[in-house]
Amino acid sequence: MGRQLPRADVLLAVMGGPHVNDTVTSAVRLAQALLERGATVQIWTCGHATGLTKQSLGGSKPRNLENWEYDYPSSAMLAKELLDSFPEQLTWYSCRFCTEERGSQPHIEQIRLRPPFKFTEHLDAVDNALFLGVC
Amino acid sequence: MADHRRRLLIIERAYRGALETQFADVLYLARELNRQQGGTDILLRGLAVTFAAADPGPAPAMTVGRRKLETLPAPRDSVRSLLEHGATVWAEEVDLAAFETGPNWLRAGVRRAGPADPLPDWSTYRGVYFL
Repeated sequence: MGRQLPRADVLLAVMGGPHVNDTVTSAVRLAQALLERGATVQIWTCGHATGLTKQSLGGSKPRNLENWEYDYPSSAMLAKELLDSFPEQLTWYSCRFCTEERGSQPHIEQIRLRPPFKFTEHLDAVDNALFLGVC
Repeated sequence: MADHRRRLLIIERAYRGALETQFADVLYLARELNRQQGGTDILLRGLAVTFAAADPGPAPAMTVGRRKLETLPAPRDSVRSLLEHGATVWAEEVDLAAFETGPNWLRAGVRRAGPADPLPDWSTYRGVYFL
């Protein structure tokens, strides 16, 4: 018997990588809308999506030459803001294999690493699972 | 002898991650190349022709947690800026047909790459780059 995962209404499995299309934007918008309505949400990142929450990204993107003083938040900072805003409703997991393979370690502290061979436990812990993109 | 021919930048993949990209989209790169090269030609194809719409549309924004993120890419404004900075911007006419809803849809100053105003032959450019 493995550890019990918290139950959630929806799992958003972000398999597609960032900077390719608006998959990540859609996932975050969907998560935000669900959380604002009181739903419980699990996010799982695979492949290059594991890089969204790399600690090495810091809190800000590199500076914008056109707007030097403006602080643009990194994806890690935005993930942290989402997690800090809904601490009782949102859990963010990242695939251990992909995290190691794609050099995404270490993550920001709120991210929980899980081995891919436990993924079915995540499917069993939610009422609905949505896959976004492919690794 | 210096080669003063311009370079052609081709953009046909659009909307590549608003949240993670923000200001640093493909047009940010195009703007920097235009600056370095003292003027460049840019051809928008496929879905990217929507960057050349005159209507700025709603200001792109989204909420993440308690933060209002108002720094998402604004490609239509970036095209306006590119034109102001001396870039020549073309939009592929056959691709415009899927989006153009009237005679004022296309931003003034953007050239329609079609039979009436054909894009120069690629061989006349110093280089052609797909961004």
